[in-house]
Amino acid sequence: MSNGRVSLKKIVKRHGAFTALHGIDLDIEPGEFFALLGPSGSGKTTTLRIVAGLEEASEGRVFLDSTDITNTEPGDRDVAMVFQSYALYPHMNVRQNIAFPMRMVGMPKGEIDAAVQDAAKKVHIEHLLDRKPGQLSGGQQQRCALARAIVRKPRLFLLDEPLSNLDAKLRLETRGELKKLQRSLGVTTIYVTHDQEEAMTIADRMAVFMDGQIVQVGSPKFVFDNPATADVANFIGSPPMNLIPASYADGRIRIGAHELQTSCRVGGERNVIAGIRPSSVRIGPSGIPARIDLIENLGDALLLDLSLDQMTIRARTGTEVTSREGESVFFSADPTAVHLFDAVTRVRIND
Amino acid sequence: MQTPVAARERRFAIYLFLPAFLVLLVTTTVPLIYLAWTSVNRVDLTSPWIKGFAGADNYSKMLGDPRFWNSLELTVIYTGTTVVLQMLIGLGLALLVLQIPRGQGILRVAAIIPIVLAPVVVGLFWRTLVLAPDFGVLDFVMRALGFGSHDWLGDPNLALASVIVIHTWQWTPFAFLVILASLSSLPPDIFEAARIDRASSVQRFWYITLPLIRPALVIVVIMRMMVALSAFAAIFAATGGGPGSATEILNLYTYRTSFTELNFGYGAALAMVLLAVTLLVSYSMFRLRTAR
Amino acid sequence: MKRSGIATASLLGVAGVFLTLWTFPVLWALLTSFKSERDVLAYPPTLIFTPTLGNYRDVLFGATTILPNLISSFVVATFTTVLTMLLAIPAAYALARLNLPGKRAGGFYILATQMLPPVGLIIPYFLFLQKIGWLDSYKGMTLIYLTFSLPFAIWLLVSYFEDIPREMEEAALIDRAGRMRAFLYVVLPQVRGGIAVTVIFVFLNAWNEFLFAVVLGGNNVRQVTVAMFNFISVEQTLWAKLAAAAIVTMAPVILLGLFAQRHIVKGLTVGAVKGGGRR
Ligand SMILES: Nc1ncnc2c1ncn2[C@@H]1O[C@H](COP(=O)(O)OP(=O)(O)O)[C@@H](O)[C@H]1O
Ligand SMILES: [Mg+2]
Repeated sequence: MSNGRVSLKKIVKRHGAFTALHGIDLDIEPGEFFALLGPSGSGKTTTLRIVAGLEEASEGRVFLDSTDITNTEPGDRDVAMVFQSYALYPHMNVRQNIAFPMRMVGMPKGEIDAAVQDAAKKVHIEHLLDRKPGQLSGGQQQRCALARAIVRKPRLFLLDEPLSNLDAKLRLETRGELKKLQRSLGVTTIYVTHDQEEAMTIADRMAVFMDGQIVQVGSPKFVFDNPATADVANFIGSPPMNLIPASYADGRIRIGAHELQTSCRVGGERNVIAGIRPSSVRIGPSGIPARIDLIENLGDALLLDLSLDQMTIRARTGTEVTSREGESVFFSADPTAVHLFDAVTRVRIND
Repeated sequence: MQTPVAARERRFAIYLFLPAFLVLLVTTTVPLIYLAWTSVNRVDLTSPWIKGFAGADNYSKMLGDPRFWNSLELTVIYTGTTVVLQMLIGLGLALLVLQIPRGQGILRVAAIIPIVLAPVVVGLFWRTLVLAPDFGVLDFVMRALGFGSHDWLGDPNLALASVIVIHTWQWTPFAFLVILASLSSLPPDIFEAARIDRASSVQRFWYITLPLIRPALVIVVIMRMMVALSAFAAIFAATGGGPGSATEILNLYTYRTSFTELNFGYGAALAMVLLAVTLLVSYSMFRLRTAR
Repeated sequence: MKRSGIATASLLGVAGVFLTLWTFPVLWALLTSFKSERDVLAYPPTLIFTPTLGNYRDVLFGATTILPNLISSFVVATFTTVLTMLLAIPAAYALARLNLPGKRAGGFYILATQMLPPVGLIIPYFLFLQKIGWLDSYKGMTLIYLTFSLPFAIWLLVSYFEDIPREMEEAALIDRAGRMRAFLYVVLPQVRGGIAVTVIFVFLNAWNEFLFAVVLGGNNVRQVTVAMFNFISVEQTLWAKLAAAAIVTMAPVILLGLFAQRHIVKGLTVGAVKGGGRR
């Protein structure tokens, strides 16, 4: 039994003239909880399905533990998958659903029963084994699908937005359980989601997809702190990072007629995009003057829309700010919290 | 360029599809070729000594055959009127039934009955129990209303109308059911929105209902035309194509030529014309369907 | 919106007229089938008479029995249904789901075979079956019945297969079922309803068929739609017996039709819904 290292080499996927994936390279370590994150239509599901063998790459190779599985049938890959719709077999009860992957390889009945019990217990549905999927709630169906995946102890779990059909509260609970389950099983897991918060909280590492390309790979914290492009910066974090057209010279950023300090040092003068997270915006007695357009009270924090030369800059502040809508304030930013991106390529400049 | 996985799926698909395909090839396409071949030969079982290749003779004979032109005309009239009647009655009734508070279900169930009956039995029903002079119900009603008794199927002036009525009776429920299903599936809120936008009921029908159910209407027209073009059993049972050739649509003429007069060569040529008409109609219908 | 009582009443009136119109011939035949031949000829038609089961006895077991014909019809319809389903189910699955080479053309071909006029098909069949001595045989009759039942069944089943989420099979593939078992264990059980409806329609159409039956049949294979003419001759019509025979013949299809009522619109429109070479 090997350990589940996944490698994608130059995966290209075309649908006629449309290219869904433009050469994906990815290495996933054994036992990792790995998220594929990106906006809708960026190619995450396609990538997952190519790993599963449900779709074929137009070019490139897929490896699982140094075996080339590019041309292997899905059933021979030793992977299990939880579908977004769960894809439970409606004519079988929960027990038969979970048993199905083992019946298919002719495992003795006694072993199947034991494995089904075990898997059902892990996801807390042992009392539901005789129900049909149609008689289960959404959360229970999700668990049933999960049990069907873990029962066979595969080398690899593939999960395509498994929480997106649950309501918000259940989603939070299940997220935590999923993470614990994965830890205890130690099986490499690839997890597709478009929800950046979900990826941030659940994944050991993640790959950010944009338009059929991977733009960044790293731990959630690293990607959050060092977004590789302005678009990644915009996608990750909520509310999104402020992206302000500016020019840079000597540790100073000029925004229109105003200036901000940055700890970042690059040579020469150039046009940049300055990225400042709303939580790094400081309201104070000095800085750049701006007008408050809107205040949203989140209870424990305030979200301010500041307008500056036709631009809107969002700030997340403590509730101690007493200014009102329509008033003018000054804002600044911590010099170490300013991200710089190239104005043309939108690629990160600082370190 | 094929990968092994794709190749395996294709092979599996071919294994599943091939038996049905081969059977259809043997049971429909080969006979069609044989039919085309027969149509350019002399195959007349009443004079079996005259045999052999006839070229286009059977087809040129048609040009001067008044019975052929009559049957072609009857086919057009029969198909056209039955389809129009079914559509108008079916649509009207469906619109009306949607308004009635209860009893829709019963009508839906009743509509199934004519559809599932064998056309030949329908033809016999009408010929005997409904239309027979003196004994038929319709004849009785007409007499009671003072219109007098008529030989509905035996009078050359009435026979065509009678078989058209029979066909319309049997198949209007089809149009009704499909249109009703289509109408019931329309979301009610668009009609409410239209009413708030001050559309009158006529305007709502014309600008909202009709465009929305147009696909269903086109489907019904196509299917009804196809069935009308291959109508046979009901007319055969009711009139046999007669009196004379008053109800002898192309189907009946082809049948009589082949199996009464045993002139298979000419019958095959007539069948080829029928096929051409069917293809022409379905082609133009599919154009209509894909248009806009 | 409130409607006046008169408007509602007239709507109900029209609906009632059609209700009567569609059910009347069958009900009238039912009534007639219980009359003696003498009561049938009474003028005006009478609703009050001494009912008799004599017609049914004659039609089923008497001199004018149609029992052998019912058996012929049943055998032909059953053969046709079984063969059709065996061929159509796999073919429909390949068309609906799998990456079949030439899928578009294949689908269109099946659609096109439905357009052949039956009167045209019957000519080569007659000539050929006569040559090989298959006239008046169950094999010959079943063969030509496939020409209308097979394309119809394939298209109807395609629409049912298409309703099944693709992820169902994908899950089965990942669960190591392989294509064949994914088809047999996961897909087929989910189209049971569609298969049942298709069986009903195929059987019904085969049972009701007349043209092929009258031309290719004989003393051996003589379906009930043909035998119906036994009761009508130039000299006399046996009204009540005809009515009884028709009731016996049509009762099964009416029951089947009512049973499949909910699915009938789908079944009736399938050819055209899928038409126009959409795929
Ligand atoms: N069968 C297909 N044919 C054409 N385009 C497709 C097909 N499948 C996916 N795509 C396209 O490929 C892109 C990536 O899809 P997908 O991987 O599902 O995105 P994601 O899961 O990131 O939302 C999308 O633009 C989608 O429209
Ligand atoms: Mg997706």
